[in-house]
Amino acid sequence: MPNLGVYIHIPFCGSKCAYCDFYSLPNQPESLMKDYVKALARHIEEAGRFLGKGSKGGIAVDTVFFGGGTPAALGAKRLGAVMKTVKKNFNLATSCEITAEANPGSVDARSLKKLRRAGFNRISFGVQAMQQELLTALGRSHTPEQAADSVREAADAGFTNISVDVMYGIPGQTRAQLTETLRSVCTWRITHLSLYGLKLEEGTPLAEAEPVLPKDEEQAEMYLEAVELLSKEGLKQYEISNFSRQGYICRHNYKYWTLEPYVGFGAAAHSDFGGKRYSFVKDIQAYINGVRDSESLMEEMQQVPMIERAGEYVMLGLRTANGVSSNEYTRLFKASFDTLEDKLERCAKWGLAETEGDRWRLTPKGFLVSNQIIGELLNTDAPAPSAQK
Amino acid sequence: MQQNIRNFCIIAHIDHGKSTLADRIIELTRSVEKRVMSDQILDNMDLERERGITIKARAVRLAYAAADGETYHLNLIDTPGHVDFNYEVSRSLAACEGALLVVDAAQGIEAQTLANTYLALEHDLEVLPVINKIDLIAADPDRAAREVEDVIGLPAQDAPRISAKNGVNIEAVLQAVVDGIPAPKGDPGAPLKALIFDSQYDAYKGVIVLVRVFEGTVRTGDTVHMMATGAEYQLVEVGYLRPLGFEPCGELKAGEAGYLTASIKEVRDTQVGDTVTLAENPAAEPLPGYKKAQPMVFSGVYPADGAKYPDLRDALERLYLNDASLTFEPETSVALGYGFRCGFLGLLHMEVIQERLEREFNLDLITTAPSVIYKIHKTNGEIVTIDNPLNYPDPSHIEAAEEPFVKADIITPQEYVGSLMELCQERRGVFKDMQYIDGAAQGRVNLHYELPLGEIIYDFFDALKSRTRGYASLDYELLDYRKSDLVKLDVLLNGEAVDALSFIVHTDKAYPRARRIAEKLKEHIPRQMFEVPVQVAIGGKIIARETVRAMRKDVLAKCYGGDITRKKKLLEKQKEGKKRMRSLGTVEVPQDAFMAVLKLDED
Repeated sequence: MPNLGVYIHIPFCGSKCAYCDFYSLPNQPESLMKDYVKALARHIEEAGRFLGKGSKGGIAVDTVFFGGGTPAALGAKRLGAVMKTVKKNFNLATSCEITAEANPGSVDARSLKKLRRAGFNRISFGVQAMQQELLTALGRSHTPEQAADSVREAADAGFTNISVDVMYGIPGQTRAQLTETLRSVCTWRITHLSLYGLKLEEGTPLAEAEPVLPKDEEQAEMYLEAVELLSKEGLKQYEISNFSRQGYICRHNYKYWTLEPYVGFGAAAHSDFGGKRYSFVKDIQAYINGVRDSESLMEEMQQVPMIERAGEYVMLGLRTANGVSSNEYTRLFKASFDTLEDKLERCAKWGLAETEGDRWRLTPKGFLVSNQIIGELLNTDAPAPSAQK
Repeated sequence: MQQNIRNFCIIAHIDHGKSTLADRIIELTRSVEKRVMSDQILDNMDLERERGITIKARAVRLAYAAADGETYHLNLIDTPGHVDFNYEVSRSLAACEGALLVVDAAQGIEAQTLANTYLALEHDLEVLPVINKIDLIAADPDRAAREVEDVIGLPAQDAPRISAKNGVNIEAVLQAVVDGIPAPKGDPGAPLKALIFDSQYDAYKGVIVLVRVFEGTVRTGDTVHMMATGAEYQLVEVGYLRPLGFEPCGELKAGEAGYLTASIKEVRDTQVGDTVTLAENPAAEPLPGYKKAQPMVFSGVYPADGAKYPDLRDALERLYLNDASLTFEPETSVALGYGFRCGFLGLLHMEVIQERLEREFNLDLITTAPSVIYKIHKTNGEIVTIDNPLNYPDPSHIEAAEEPFVKADIITPQEYVGSLMELCQERRGVFKDMQYIDGAAQGRVNLHYELPLGEIIYDFFDALKSRTRGYASLDYELLDYRKSDLVKLDVLLNGEAVDALSFIVHTDKAYPRARRIAEKLKEHIPRQMFEVPVQVAIGGKIIARETVRAMRKDVLAKCYGGDITRKKKLLEKQKEGKKRMRSLGTVEVPQDAFMAVLKLDED
């Protein structure tokens, strides 16, 4: 039985960023946060009876991830309380990775120390860019200086595993600015970096403003340059958007790519456990009420059939620099890898994929068009009509 | 009583108010209760109604109490208004003794009206002009009447001036029909001669044959013989067509129009123009004028989704039940898979069929460039006819090639003559002559050209309309075959020839057309994961080239909190989008790229 990951969704934040379409609400009353923490605790206790200490030979938990929203917006004290409940109810591995997401400015030296004491050993800051005009364009509520300060304070508080998020493809962003941002953050005491392309999500204020994004060509160059720069700085790419120093990949997120089980708690939290993918209601109050009244919290639930798992294996595995293994594929899904291999060989011809032993992986150029490649690989419909004359 | 019967049709340009006038006539004769009458009752098909054109002829029998106290039986026989259906028009006309010529008081005579009027006069029909749309502000009934007199030579000053839309003066039209159109002749006791002027398939009755009886009498239970096709059937029902349906009447006598049914399964047994006679007492010879409808334009029709091939076949068979002029046979394309080579009477016919397939049968289609029939003289003395570029012989085996020419009449306001002559020149037209229709400052001109049919089947109509702000009209008929210098163009995507994009073109047009095709394809083929060269070649020689650059970025960066479902949905959506694409070798080509190369001269 593989180890379990625990995800806890904190749908609160200090202010909503212009591009964000995740389930998160700014400026919520204290009382709601209190009720939410209570509901989380009760929910975690209930689950613990089946999966954790309450069950015979409970599953070992080796990652806990607090995502959001901005978990730090809940306050270090409450985060610590939730963490305590997790520890109490689950078998945490001694090497357990415990992450909290935070925004620069949403934490200070004191709260960071509190988090450390509560057991958090990894922290991830949304830095995004080191140019004030770009942060403003994104609707971020912190300054570049605050980002640098927060990272320093985290390191001073004893965090030895610090990650930053950086964004490319921001309206008005130049290649030089991205390089500048990356060079800056690389001088900090970070172990990990996530590089995300800005995506305009329907309905967000940023999308409604119809901004001009850097052209695809420009963005592609940004990405490829970033991959190269980070590699020189010792941050090796291990996934489409993720880079780390040796030994510091985000073990929690890595479970997503490798089909390992994780259970989520909280409104809008997702889980993959016992062959099912499911998520909870996207509504704080409904979640609180549901837990209190022992009613169903489900938003969606799907028993993932084997064939779909095979698709997930390819779709998610190819996001990693480790790629997929034809032998493993055949062993796990009792299916032939031949068609996939043919298609991947074609990609290799165009410099989008490469192979080593029984493994296939995408190149950085391939990562850039991974939607197309994965779409093509998973399209099992009748291939091109081949009516012979 | 024969002397109380009037068989007539209405000739009008599209939009000049034929269907509206038919509505008013039916209303006035009270054959249809006003409340159950849908607008423009003669046009049964939605498509016709939407486009304001009448595709298949219909007929209704109406009773009219005239001023002389007699009741007259008026058979209003509808005619298709478009040039593609010339033969069907001629058969509808042959079923009548007279025709109403409806002229728009604001717009005057148009090319199609003129062509159909001449056709009516050729059939010795009494043609009665009617000036319609007098309610329009721009109406100039005097000028319209003068135009009829000048151009056609029919007296028109006393023609009824009406507004079909507002129901003004419709009575005068009916009185003109009674007074001006002769009653039919013919001996009810003679051997049966009935002209088929239309047939349509009905799921319950089988084929419904619309006939005009010229000699003799036909009764329920008779065994009839179709003189051209040789088919024989025992009649189940004989009757009149009423505005809202069928009215069995037991027999139709010389002079009458009505319908026959006999559980006939296929319209091809009951071809328009054929003569129906009795098996036991046959007529010595058929009525004159029968011709088998000949398709002039051919195109490959493929389901966008290869799995829908059987559905496409069923749909074509269903349409064929009602339209014997449509031809189709299976065809395979390396690029498009399984489909059909379809033959159409003309461009409009092709569009109508494609639209009906998409609309009534819910099919997504890819059609290839339309082609005419070329005659190729091979070096070995053999002559082959080619309606599909796929079968075009190797150039080294071609001694000479011929292509069809048509005689085209274009009626246009004078100010556009220069622009249209330029257009006809570009399309390799041979100028014949030019007539001024009326002398006024805003006078109109009838341009006569001889044009290669292959040049007008692409987008000639569109070009004609856009150059004249919609004011010009066109009519054409097949003239002859002429020697021509032709080449076949092949399109290569990523180095692989795409058979479905090949077409035949005049040598002089090869280079500019090849360039346009390459440009259009570049515009319409989305970026792929690799660079795609688009080439156009004659034989092995590349004469145009463009490049679709490689896609650089399409990536989902974030996969938040393990929300894999969202990612899967996005991939699903992407896959849906791809369904409208065809994989040609390694290249994904959207449907609209195939359509775009059919409209090269736009913009």
